[in-house]
Amino acid sequence: MVVEDLKKALGPLLEDVRIQDIPEGSKRRSYQCVWVNIRKEGFLTAVRTLFRYGFPHLGILTGEDMGEDLRLVYIFKVFYEEPREEVTVVFSFHIPKSEPVVPSLTPMIPGASTNEREIREMLGVEFRGLKDKRHLFLPEDWPEGKYPWRKDETNVEDMVKRTR
Amino acid sequence: MTTTYTYSLPIGPIHPALKEPIRVVAEVEGERVVRADVKRGFAHRGIEFMGMKRNAIQTLYLSERICGICSISHPYAFVKAVENAIGMEAPPRAQYIRTIIAELERIHSHILWLGVIAHEMGFDPLLYWTWKGREMVMDLLEYLTGNRVNYAMYMIGGVRRDLNEKKIRAIKENMNYYRQFNQEMKDVFMSDPTYKARTRRVSLLTRKDALELCAVGPTARAAGLRMDIRQDQPYDAYADMDVRAVVPQDITGEVMGDAYDVTLVRLYEIDQSIEIIERCLEDLPPGPILAEPNLIKLLMTIKRSEGEGVGRHEAPRGEVMHYVRFDGTRDGPVAWKVKAPSYNNINIWGRVLVGAEIADIPIAVGYIDPCMCCNDRVAEVRRGGRELPYEEVRRKCREKTMRIKREVMG
Repeated sequence: MVVEDLKKALGPLLEDVRIQDIPEGSKRRSYQCVWVNIRKEGFLTAVRTLFRYGFPHLGILTGEDMGEDLRLVYIFKVFYEEPREEVTVVFSFHIPKSEPVVPSLTPMIPGASTNEREIREMLGVEFRGLKDKRHLFLPEDWPEGKYPWRKDETNVEDMVKRTR
Repeated sequence: MTTTYTYSLPIGPIHPALKEPIRVVAEVEGERVVRADVKRGFAHRGIEFMGMKRNAIQTLYLSERICGICSISHPYAFVKAVENAIGMEAPPRAQYIRTIIAELERIHSHILWLGVIAHEMGFDPLLYWTWKGREMVMDLLEYLTGNRVNYAMYMIGGVRRDLNEKKIRAIKENMNYYRQFNQEMKDVFMSDPTYKARTRRVSLLTRKDALELCAVGPTARAAGLRMDIRQDQPYDAYADMDVRAVVPQDITGEVMGDAYDVTLVRLYEIDQSIEIIERCLEDLPPGPILAEPNLIKLLMTIKRSEGEGVGRHEAPRGEVMHYVRFDGTRDGPVAWKVKAPSYNNINIWGRVLVGAEIADIPIAVGYIDPCMCCNDRVAEVRRGGRELPYEEVRRKCREKTMRIKREVMG
């Protein structure tokens, strides 16, 4: 159901989708995890689609420096509160390093502010519409333009004294 | 004409109640909180960064060091994520043992919280009594795994230690003790009029706020959300049984979403854990405990694997979620993201503290059972304005309890 709705809503903005069945327990009953690769233009439409099934729970927002560009991963869960019905939906998309901007989810999900503040300071992604732009984990006097999760010149390798 | 000005009331980074660093700054006007703000990150150690430089088994041990109280929650989510990414499945016996250890941990963590909240209110004998009861399960965990905390029990594709007849007997005896002890705890917490007066309508969280602020675990359940991964998306031995989320509407018939409801949820979850453990021992399947006993081979499998996985576990405080990605070049994760339940639950402080009395702040802060297994860079925060020391706040909290006690007891 989720997959059809997403296909219809996103059209060509949906790159590929994979449904993973994960068996659990001695009776090997499975639950579903849906992995969806989208284009960044379709991100808000994709999240709005999830709102059809009730308020989606944002589990993780993470990102990664892929070298050429940045990749963002949003993990949602829908159909919770119902025994054995919950489905995990993972959206991932790439954004260019020259313009690392994505729309903020905070107007829809106020709790996403924490996640976005973390990704903003760690990876240097700008969230359009995010009101609270203070640091979350890093100290308030953290130098501008330094991002711990980046693997390029904005990394903090020179600040790290001893990590193995 | 009177001028009103607000006091800035800092709590933390050194919090006398929780022994973990976080800073809450509450703007107070008279006795009322008008605005609250949270600064976290005093314990940020960049564990995810370190994990991405180690192999998967070393990262598993590292993940165990994220949290000092619920030290099995992070390894649990991590092994589930790795198994999901490389397509491995733990043998049934290992899945049952994992569930037993996770539930034992829920028992000790919930009792810990009940003690802490009693201490915050000024019921110190109750703290000593609950924590004395907690020692039994700590001793049992030490007997089963070798350690009181950091059990090093889980491995990718199974568990490291088996349960023999003697250990199973020890767990059964322990469960009989806790059935009795939990009944006594329920009697004490639920029948005491002062406890009720001190927690009813304190730090109210509505269902809508819980959804919007992504609350998880007992915090969300106290607001009436039937949200529990053991029910919604059961894994391991939970998949063989029908666990149902414990919510206040099933216990008392109404949802208030206050500190009293949270107490009820935690007390009844201890009963649920005892049931789950006994059910697991009854149905414990025979067989191996590791899918791949050769760890070198396991690391090679990981090194050849490409893919990503999500692992989740319903920890005592709520949903723990890990994301890993392997790229087929190294035997550890190239991307690792950890999300602890307090990461979400701290969001609610901004809302529940507004309108609260100063004397209720310790309860509202303790409500979610915060665990700052987040992060550390030492930061010195200097602020202007007037500041009230936390000891003052706690004194107010205790005075209010004593006042109510006198009123209730007559």
